[in-house]
Amino acid sequence: MLKYTSRRLLGMILTLFLVTTCVFFFVRLIPGDPARLVAGEQATEADVLAVRAQLGLDEPVTTQYLKYISGVVQGDLGTSLRTKRPVAEEVGYRYGNTLKLTFLSLGWGTVAGVVLGVWSGRNRGKWQDYTGMATAVSGISMPSFWMGFLLIMVFSVKLHWLPTTGAAGFQSYILPAITLGTSIAAIIARFTRSSIVETLKEDYIRTARAKGLSENVVVWKHAFRNSMLSVVTVVGLQFGFLLGGAVIVEAVFAFPGLGSLLIQSVNYRDYPAIQSLILIFSAQFIIINTLVDMLYATLNPEIKLS
Amino acid sequence: MSEKLQTIQPGAPGAAMDMHEEIKTPMKVMTQRFLKQRNSVIALGFILFLVVLAFIGPLIVPFDVNQYDYSAILQGPSSTHWFGTDEFGRDLFSRIILGTPISLAVGLSAVTIGAVTGTVLGLLSGYYRGWIDAVVMRICDTLFAFPGIILAIAIVAILGSGLYNVVIAVAVFSTPTFARIVRSRTMAIKESVFVKAAINLGASDARILFKHILPGAIPDIIVQYTMSIGTSILTASSLSFLGMGAQPPTPEWGLLLSNGRQYIATNIYTTIFPGLAIFFTVLSFNTLGDGLRDALDPKLTE
Repeated sequence: MLKYTSRRLLGMILTLFLVTTCVFFFVRLIPGDPARLVAGEQATEADVLAVRAQLGLDEPVTTQYLKYISGVVQGDLGTSLRTKRPVAEEVGYRYGNTLKLTFLSLGWGTVAGVVLGVWSGRNRGKWQDYTGMATAVSGISMPSFWMGFLLIMVFSVKLHWLPTTGAAGFQSYILPAITLGTSIAAIIARFTRSSIVETLKEDYIRTARAKGLSENVVVWKHAFRNSMLSVVTVVGLQFGFLLGGAVIVEAVFAFPGLGSLLIQSVNYRDYPAIQSLILIFSAQFIIINTLVDMLYATLNPEIKLS
Repeated sequence: MSEKLQTIQPGAPGAAMDMHEEIKTPMKVMTQRFLKQRNSVIALGFILFLVVLAFIGPLIVPFDVNQYDYSAILQGPSSTHWFGTDEFGRDLFSRIILGTPISLAVGLSAVTIGAVTGTVLGLLSGYYRGWIDAVVMRICDTLFAFPGIILAIAIVAILGSGLYNVVIAVAVFSTPTFARIVRSRTMAIKESVFVKAAINLGASDARILFKHILPGAIPDIIVQYTMSIGTSILTASSLSFLGMGAQPPTPEWGLLLSNGRQYIATNIYTTIFPGLAIFFTVLSFNTLGDGLRDALDPKLTE
């Protein structure tokens, strides 16, 4: 177990390091001179030099790289070109919003997905199955920005029940969470269904039915419990995915989270901010995925840890 | 086993000929199984309709897509303008039809690039293992470490906005999945008797990879390919929606929707119809992908 854990953690650190390096070279890959691009077309030579110094592009690449890595390790995410303040400051202020939105979406998405998936799976081949899976594939195919607009049209513009934008109070979380949770619910439903269908073929299910247990007990207590392990894994992986996937939904609802900050930064060519945000998105994704994998390996007695 | 196989003379036609004849039957079985799934057949029909529409669109649209008409701005659907008009009085129905080839081309080209690159990488790393495998899998891990659309946004932020860069971004984004799928298939097929026989017959690596291993991985590639097209069209239109993809006045669906959002209170049709176009297109590819998966995966049958 210890050997497995340390190997996974080492792999995680290696990936984190590779991603950090990629993100470092990211700004250096921009065609042309990033400093001139940031300074604008009418900038004088002195302005361009100043921006270059600000971006740290006037030093040798190795020095830049070492500075960058030591900065990241110490939690220094650089200075935003847009706000002229540390990127970490704005990230800190917005992180909570994105985290709350993610938990809300994941919460209802998981419950809805599991219920829909079990309902379809236990009625395999019947109309319930077709309805459930048609709903799920529609949920996956729905552009989230379109769904967001439809919700705004109905609940904000027509009915005036909920606010269109912002993150003030619980009401402003409802529509973004519905939008974001829909695709999660759809993915979890599809996964739960196939898992339930597989589990219902097992011998112990036949035994449970033969004992005269009610179908509800068989499905929820025997079949679902045994498919839960793989469902938990999917939910965990979706969590990491959601933290990044909120970008579009946040843009639609002008939600003050990390995703909308990324879009603003891209539009402003705020390279230090883009760099840090991409690093944050992928770092949390890598860490969560590794933890979920390890949890799965620990919980599943069938997996040999070698 | 391998000793026996060594006695077969190189160049003997037997093995290859038999294989061709055997492949025919599973193909028929697969087609029959696919045709049984009504939803997927309908989806395929809709996709073919879109392809035809993409080609004949410019000939049949009732209005010039870039024709401004200030006497008819932001109208709702009518007998003249079936889907209504936008803020410049341009006919939305014509614009959506001319958006079809854009979305199809972006989705198909991005996934094709991703599929070819991923397949080659997967074949090489699954067949040779060793350092090639280590390097390819590290690259995949690194690409997989960027969640969802973040990688595409990062690439567009480097290369700049525009449809071509979106194609590159989506291609990079879909490559690692193909690499992983093909790699695991390759590793499995490499151990099979017919590949060992081919090795013992002295077939070249290229021949083994492309003639013997690749056909075995094709079903998985086809399913992933179809599924990825839906995702790519969705990702590409999302990037256009965010202002990073197609630029005005291109009638790209994501961009049409993004324009329409300013008029959400006056004319909701400018957002509803482009959204429906994206939704049904992506839904068709996903449904087709599901159908192909069920038809190609023997494990899923009773």
